Amino acid sequence: MDEIESEIKSYILESFLPNVNPEELTAATPLIAGGILDSVATIRLVTFLDERFGIEIQAHEVNAENLDSLTSIAALVRRKRTS
Amino acid sequence: MDFSHTPEQARLRQEIVAFARASLNANMIERDRGQVFSRELWKACAGLGLAGLPAPPEFGGAGLDPLTCAIALDAFGYGCADHGLVFSLSAHVMSCVVPIAKFGSDAQKHKYLPGLCDGTWIGVHAMTEAGSGSDPFSMRSQAVRDGAGWRINGTKTFISNAPEADVIIVFALTDPEARFHGGVTAFLLDRGTRGLKAGRNIEKMGLRTAPLSEVTFDDVWASDEAVLGGLGGGAFVFAHSMDWERICLFAAHVGQMERLMEQSIAYARTREAAGKPIGKHQAISHKVADMKIRLEAARLLTYRSASRLEVSRGVSLDAAVTKVFVSEALVQTALDTVQIFGGYGYTTEYEVERALRDALGATIYSGTSEVQRNIIANWLGL
Repeated sequence: MDEIESEIKSYILESFLPNVNPEELTAATPLIAGGILDSVATIRLVTFLDERFGIEIQAHEVNAENLDSLTSIAALVRRKRTS
Repeated sequence: MDFSHTPEQARLRQEIVAFARASLNANMIERDRGQVFSRELWKACAGLGLAGLPAPPEFGGAGLDPLTCAIALDAFGYGCADHGLVFSLSAHVMSCVVPIAKFGSDAQKHKYLPGLCDGTWIGVHAMTEAGSGSDPFSMRSQAVRDGAGWRINGTKTFISNAPEADVIIVFALTDPEARFHGGVTAFLLDRGTRGLKAGRNIEKMGLRTAPLSEVTFDDVWASDEAVLGGLGGGAFVFAHSMDWERICLFAAHVGQMERLMEQSIAYARTREAAGKPIGKHQAISHKVADMKIRLEAARLLTYRSASRLEVSRGVSLDAAVTKVFVSEALVQTALDTVQIFGGYGYTTEYEVERALRDALGATIYSGTSEVQRNIIANWLGL
């Protein structure tokens, strides 16, 4: 898990899973299908990603392909930072 | 934060108040009773820039920043006694002009913004369905791939401006499983599109000059060029519009609160009971003092939230807080105004009963107070 993924994991644990053992949130845990990211949580997460990593996630990029796991979210951030 | 008006903002406010008082307030009792919506008045408002406040000047807009938009709508709400017109025009800006300016392609901006800004066209967005008011993403309307475009079917209800709409942004499922997360797409449709039909005006308790109806989509065909904000981007297009609406449309309510407070003061100074003006009785003066407290708090909150629209994407919490506070403050101020006016306040002639009827919708539209409190609690980690 690299620095980007770790930061995102910390944010999700703190914001949406305050009583969960950090080891239970793995890189592949389904965040949308698992009900962790509902609509408001998704908006909060996208706001965090935009502001923390200096990117602008587009409306059509807010989907399960990009946001359903720590791995996919970190990949999106890396893509946006290099584009 | 200092929200003192700049000289330009002060001039804008003065100009809007003077225009509204001179041009928009005649025959309000009859217009309210007859549910009269006036394209002529709409055009006059557009002539002052009100229909395209935040749109870029190159597309015919006034190019105002969000805080100045809020100041302008505060002035509009203060000067204009036709709250239905204020509501309709604000909804047009927040639900149609704002998302096209933000998410539209160059072609979409060129096609739609000039007409929306100069008052030729009236815009709406269509999200709410009969079974999904407070839970909009449980919608049933669908758009299915059909060649180089989409076939849209569904029915939307309580759509502000729909009977008069020239441009409609409709939200439909393009991936029913995904829903909020990439499953909803926004489409831009024109009046007269085959299969697109607005229903009869729905009669309401208040805001009676603001048209409202159902809209049906019966095998409506839309090209890929009609997609706004990208395929699956509808949820965020909608969220962006709602952030603006919950702040800037409610700025108009701040102005309405100020007018109601001034009317209450004027009445309380002249109406006498027990040998002195009723304003000298603490029961009345404290009501007015509370109006002032609510007004100042509402204005500060609204302006702060509006200023954040420009610098942050994460304003949903600010928008929800603003929406709840301002709408509930408006209702209380309208109730107190009627109470201060006593029996006269209950009559149509004094026009404050209409303000109360108009105010009551504010805790319902743009997401009920209950939904806003859910959003606030969620942002607080609950």
